[in-house]
Order: sequence, then C-alpha cells, then structure tokens
Amino acid sequence: MRKILLGTTAVVAAVAVSAPAFAQGAPTVRIGGSIQAYWGYIQQNGAQSEPGTAAAVPNAVPGGTGALTTGSFGRLGKHDIVTIPQFSVIVSGKLANGITYGGNIDLTFNNQESRTVIPGNRNVGVSRSAPAVDEAWIFVAHPRFGQVRFGDEDGVMGGLMNSGWITGFGTGGVFGVWENFQTRAVANRTQTAPGGLGDNSKIVYMSPQFFGFDFGASFAPNFGSMGQHGCIADVVNTFCDRAYAFRGATGAAIPVRGGELGARRNEYQLAARWRGNLAGVGLSATAGYIGSGTARDLTDTNRQVRTLNGLDVWQFGAQASYMGFTVGAAYFFGNTNFFWGNTIRGARNGQQLTAGISYTSGPITVGANFMSGLFEGGDNSTFSTATGAVTRNAAPTVFNPAAGVGANTLASQRRWGMGFGANYRLAPGLDLIAEYVFHSVREQGADLDAGRAGIQSRGVANVFILGSRLAF
Amino acid sequence: MRNLVRTFLTLSVALPLLAACSGGRLVGNEEYGTDNQRERILRQTGANPTTAGVVVFGVDRSRQQDQAAAGGGGMTVNAFLWRATLDTLAFMPLASADPFGGVVITDWYTPPQAPSERFKATAYVLGRQLRSDGVRVQLFRQVLRNGQWVDAPSSSTTNSELEDRVLARARELRSQSASR
Repeated sequence: MRKILLGTTAVVAAVAVSAPAFAQGAPTVRIGGSIQAYWGYIQQNGAQSEPGTAAAVPNAVPGGTGALTTGSFGRLGKHDIVTIPQFSVIVSGKLANGITYGGNIDLTFNNQESRTVIPGNRNVGVSRSAPAVDEAWIFVAHPRFGQVRFGDEDGVMGGLMNSGWITGFGTGGVFGVWENFQTRAVANRTQTAPGGLGDNSKIVYMSPQFFGFDFGASFAPNFGSMGQHGCIADVVNTFCDRAYAFRGATGAAIPVRGGELGARRNEYQLAARWRGNLAGVGLSATAGYIGSGTARDLTDTNRQVRTLNGLDVWQFGAQASYMGFTVGAAYFFGNTNFFWGNTIRGARNGQQLTAGISYTSGPITVGANFMSGLFEGGDNSTFSTATGAVTRNAAPTVFNPAAGVGANTLASQRRWGMGFGANYRLAPGLDLIAEYVFHSVREQGADLDAGRAGIQSRGVANVFILGSRLAF
Repeated sequence: MRNLVRTFLTLSVALPLLAACSGGRLVGNEEYGTDNQRERILRQTGANPTTAGVVVFGVDRSRQQDQAAAGGGGMTVNAFLWRATLDTLAFMPLASADPFGGVVITDWYTPPQAPSERFKATAYVLGRQLRSDGVRVQLFRQVLRNGQWVDAPSSSTTNSELEDRVLARARELRSQSASR
C-alpha cells in the first residue's frame, strides 16, 4: 500500500507541475449601444408664464413668419416623447502576466435643453441631438493589486461602489428618466443621486476583494469633464475649470453654468464595501466619504476670498436580495446642496434618505423607491466684491407668503419624491416600461415659480411614462 | 470630522495593501455600479454586457465560448472538459484521443520517483455539459517483478483525484475564457 501511495502521489504531483500560466488574449474591440424611447404625460408647476402683464402678448406669427417675442411667455403642453440614443465602444484584453486592460467610450445624444430660439429665428446653443462624450476611461486590473481607472468616469461614491440605491426597475423610479420631461423652472429635475456627482476627469483605484471587503478611492482636480473645460479665452477667465479663483465663484456652486462648470475643486471620494451571503440572502453595505475644495471668489482688488464650503459628505447604504426581492436604503449628510453643489459658508448641512424595493419574477420586474432630503434654500447670502464679505441676508420684516408679501430667503428646502415602475422583458436587452414619479420641492416663503403671480413656495411634478428601451 | 476622514483615508490605503499581501479576488467590472445606460439596460434585462454588441476588432470569444459549451466545432463532448483532460494527462505519453467519443488513452508512464512502477490512464468525457460528473478517469498500474511488468491494484482515490484535477483545470479554462 505504501508503494501504491508513493507512486500515485507522484502521478498526481506530476499533474500539478503541468498546470500552465495565464493565457494571453489579444484585445477585442466591441461596439454596442442603446436606444430609449418614452412617452411621458407631465403635470408640473412652472408650466406657464405670468399672465396679464403688458409685454406678455406673443407676436402674431401668421404663416410661421416673423420674429418670436423673447421672454417667458408660453404654456407647456402635458405630453412629449423623449428619445435617448447612445453608442459605446468597449475594449478589453488580457496579458500573460494576468493583467487585464481595456477602456470605454460612451457617446450619448442627450443634451439637456437644446437650442434657444431668439428674435430673428436664430438658434443658439447645442442641439439636443448633438453627440457628446458621456464617459471615456481606460482600466488596468490585476488580481493581486486591484483596478485603476483613468479618464472621465464616475467616482467610487458616484455610483461605482454605492449600496442601497434601488433603481433596478422601470427607468430608475425617482432617480430615473422622468427628469428628462422636466423644465428648469422649480428645479424638480435636479437630483442628489450618485451619478449626479459627475463623471469629471479623474483617477480611480479599487482594491481586490478579501473577506468580502473591497475599497476604493478616486480623485478629480476639478468639476470639468475632458479637462481644460471652458479654458478657451486668451486670458484667465471665469469659465475655465482650472481657475482656482475667479469672480463669481460664489454663484457657481451649483454646476449648471456652462455645461459642467462648477466651483468644486480637488474632489476626492473614498469607499469601503462589504458583500456577502448569509443564509441565502445576498447582502451589500457601503460606507463612503465625498470631500472637495472650492474655487475662491475675487474682490475688486483681486483679493481671494473663500466663500464656499467644500463638499464634506458621509454616505452609508445597505441592501439585501432574496428570492427575487431586493430592498435597500441609503443616507448621506454633510456639506452639500441639493445638486451636489458647494454650499455658501454658514449654510446648513444637507441630508437625504432614500429607500426602495424591487421584485423580479421571470420576465417581470416591479419596484418602488422614494427620497426625502433637507437642504439649504437658495440665495441666503450675499457676496460683496467690494469688501469680500459674505453676508447672511436679513429676514423680511413683513412676511405673509399666502398674500405674496416678503419673500423669505432664509428657509431650508425640503425635497421629496417617490416612484413606482414595472418592466416586462420582451427579450434579452429589450424592455417594455411603465412608470410613475411624483416629486416635490418646498421652501417656505421662497418663490419657486417666477412665472406665476405671488410667492409659490411649492413646486411639484407628476410624470407618467410608457416606453421601451433596447440595448445591444 | 477631519479626524474621521483621516482615519478613513488611512484604512482605505492600508486595507488594499493588506488585500494585496493576502491575495484577494479581482472584482469584475460587472460588480461595480454604472451610469452607462447601455450597461444598465443589459444588466436589468438579463443580457450580458461583456458579450453584447458587435466585435469589430479581435476575436469574439463569447461566441467561441457558446460554441464550446455546446460542443461546437464538430465536437460532441464539452470542449473545456476535453481540453482539461488533455492538459491534465499531458505528462503521460498519449496513445490515442478521440474527440468525438470523448476518450483519451495514454501509454504507460513511469514516474521518476518510482522506477519500478508504471501507470496508464483512460479518461472518458461523458457529455456536452460542464458538470462535475462529466469526466471519468481510470488509472491502471503495473509493478516490476523479476524483470516482468505485472498488474497491480491502484488506489481508488487516485482516480477521483485525477478527476478533480481535470475539473479544476476545466473551471480554470472556463474562467480564463470568460474574462477575456
């Protein structure tokens, strides 16, 4: 028997020695894409301009000729069809030493607002159907050292490693496509969701997983995508994303001025995630931090004044999956406004809770989610370019919002919404979708709808969506 | 707050280093969240983002995998098990290999550590599916007595050990194929 064991052990040992190394693979370039098409029925505030003023009579345009009158004179219809195409180029390869590498370029045709028609019927701006690079990044990964991504990509807390955000039904419920059916008035469309942090140019590191844990960190020098965003003038200007100080930085806290221009600088994100399986229940939990500096404002004498808080946000989330059900919740708090913008110094912290549930059975998925957040309201402080002082605005002496007297500029802003959705999977990559979303913004005494008479402290949106989407 | 961030930052740097030392598992791209609409739709509709689309440069390995799993290319047995069997028994001289019947027969092999013994193996790949009972290995043993090779019993655990090696190699091949 001893001889048998000796000989057979040698046979098995010979097998072990013969195991080869990693197989090298030539790079593969793949082209894919998606088409989304939705019909939406919309009821929202901010759908009409103020009636009755003398100038608010549109020019007659008989036969379609003649100039349009500028200004906010119009009424919005209640339905529309939105189409969102996208192309992706995906590269992947593997080296003999185990390193995998590749990259992604996503070309999206979804510019938010399209052209504006000005008198003389000239179009200004970018067409809504114009292509724009959404993400473009390279990755290099190794089983022992983890993965590095470099380029325009979300950060580790900007969607890569978050837990608890339940969006895998409909188009994402309250964080879904309904925002494309909103206008800027009342700002119902702005959301504090992970993807909203932006895919500004950054470097991302994500560790291997051990004992269920993996970690990540990312850094971006500023808020601009592709780099050198807006740096086109011969002299240093306000709109260059590399400017660490510029006149008007206080007002650029919310990243809406000129595409992706914002005052955020030196953004870094950290994430720790645990995933595991307990008694057949799939679990995931993430703790993360989002920090940044800000650009400084300049006075008349070119003195640099720090008027904004950096992002300083903690986020915690967890989710569980069992038998087709997924439930989750996420909470964040810290220095941020309702659009991942920087708050003015002295402003209150922002906080938001979101929770959701989804259930998948065969080709059908149903789900619901909600969000509720409390943030600093708008225009609560004033920056003096003469003295460099940031002054908290005074409360109105006479305040009666019901009568439209004395707009309040010191209130906090409550934002909440909920969404319900259902998908029917017609084929792999093809969905039919029905979804309903309600969203509300409240700021007591602040006028959220300038198009209507009086002070409108509340703006709501109801959107019902029917549509389909195809990815290939 | 800043102290908390500093602690978090330290952990975030130290723990990945620990992971690197202890040998962690590479997290696949599909395990990260995405803001890419195409990938989100594919994930939610049960399609595979790594195999969808059209390959314009390189080899479409996903198609190869599909064909291999289905025993494509004229083979009637699982290609991963077949290749794994050949790899595993490659240290012995090969006498015959029939990919249609799924039979591999080796010639006699004498391990350097035991010059008075020799082994011969016959392996059967049993079907198209990659499953744990998809391969059978039978090892034959002879010992040298008085200048003559005579049959001798072999350990039954050796057969199952060799089958385990084949299955492990098949899994490895499948994994490498999927990650390309």
